[in-house]
Amino acid sequence: MSGADLDWNQITVPVELPEVVDHISYQRVVENAGATWDYFPGHFDPSYAQNQGNPTIYVNTMHMAGFADRVATDWAGPSSRVVRRSLRLAGSIYAGDTMIGRGRAVAKRRDTSVHPPRCLVDIQIQVTNQHGVLCCPVELTLQMPENA
Amino acid sequence: MDSDLSYQLAFGSYEDALRMVGAASEPRTAATPVSGARIQLFASLVCDGNRSYWDAEFARQTWGGLLAPPALLMGWLIPPPWQPGGRPPAASMVLRVPLPGTTFINAANDVEFLHPIVEGDLLTAVEELVSVSPEKQTRLGVGHFIETLETYRRQDQTVVATCRNTLFRFTPGAPA
Repeated sequence: MSGADLDWNQITVPVELPEVVDHISYQRVVENAGATWDYFPGHFDPSYAQNQGNPTIYVNTMHMAGFADRVATDWAGPSSRVVRRSLRLAGSIYAGDTMIGRGRAVAKRRDTSVHPPRCLVDIQIQVTNQHGVLCCPVELTLQMPENA
Repeated sequence: MDSDLSYQLAFGSYEDALRMVGAASEPRTAATPVSGARIQLFASLVCDGNRSYWDAEFARQTWGGLLAPPALLMGWLIPPPWQPGGRPPAASMVLRVPLPGTTFINAANDVEFLHPIVEGDLLTAVEELVSVSPEKQTRLGVGHFIETLETYRRQDQTVVATCRNTLFRFTPGAPA
């Protein structure tokens, strides 16, 4: 859960972020379609998903991205903001799977190309399933607060 | 195949698709403004307790309003599954690229969030077709990768996000 805010000045990199684990039931995949309005049938119709070559329905990109964002902001706190996220759908998270998110802050930098300058942290996140298969590698940049 | 119009794919050859590269869509405006209810439904889906999504006073002081979860960006421009008057939902441009593939799955997504998007914002997006790959074989089947670039503006015309997406448009089948 997101509690207190980390201060950009207090962070040393590299640092491992707390692991986040989430079991994805059929209900969650259906919630996924409802919350995002993404009613592509691969996200709610098991027979459609099977005709595509998948074992069953799977979560969409927005759910995967939201899970990655949660890994980052659970760690940094609610005054941080995702300013960039790049992900690749290497595999799918199916109904019945467990998502495991492991993050590592790898760099911190002050972006002086904008005014006022931004305090940024670059994070690498791997979303794997319960079999250890890498389903979604993510590179994410957080803007963080800086206390005087 | 689901009959929902928003997933009615355009069919054609790779050459047809290449002729569309560089084309940009008309601006599409979200059917509804960014709302607290959808922000919290999505945060609930992801089990995300971030106060920016739940604590109106904290969010107002920090962002100017409840923060739209960055991951929900594409969702604001998806039309509701039904609209009054029988108006067909406007499909995303990526579905209108003429190709042989009978279905699709997303492959990659790269987003930059230039400004916070908050409750009350009304987003408009323009979508551009960047590239269509030659035919590729993957574990799912044979098809083409389609790269698009979406630019999102809020009601005051400020660009709040840009989204580069790669989608695999394919016909299912095991490798030969």
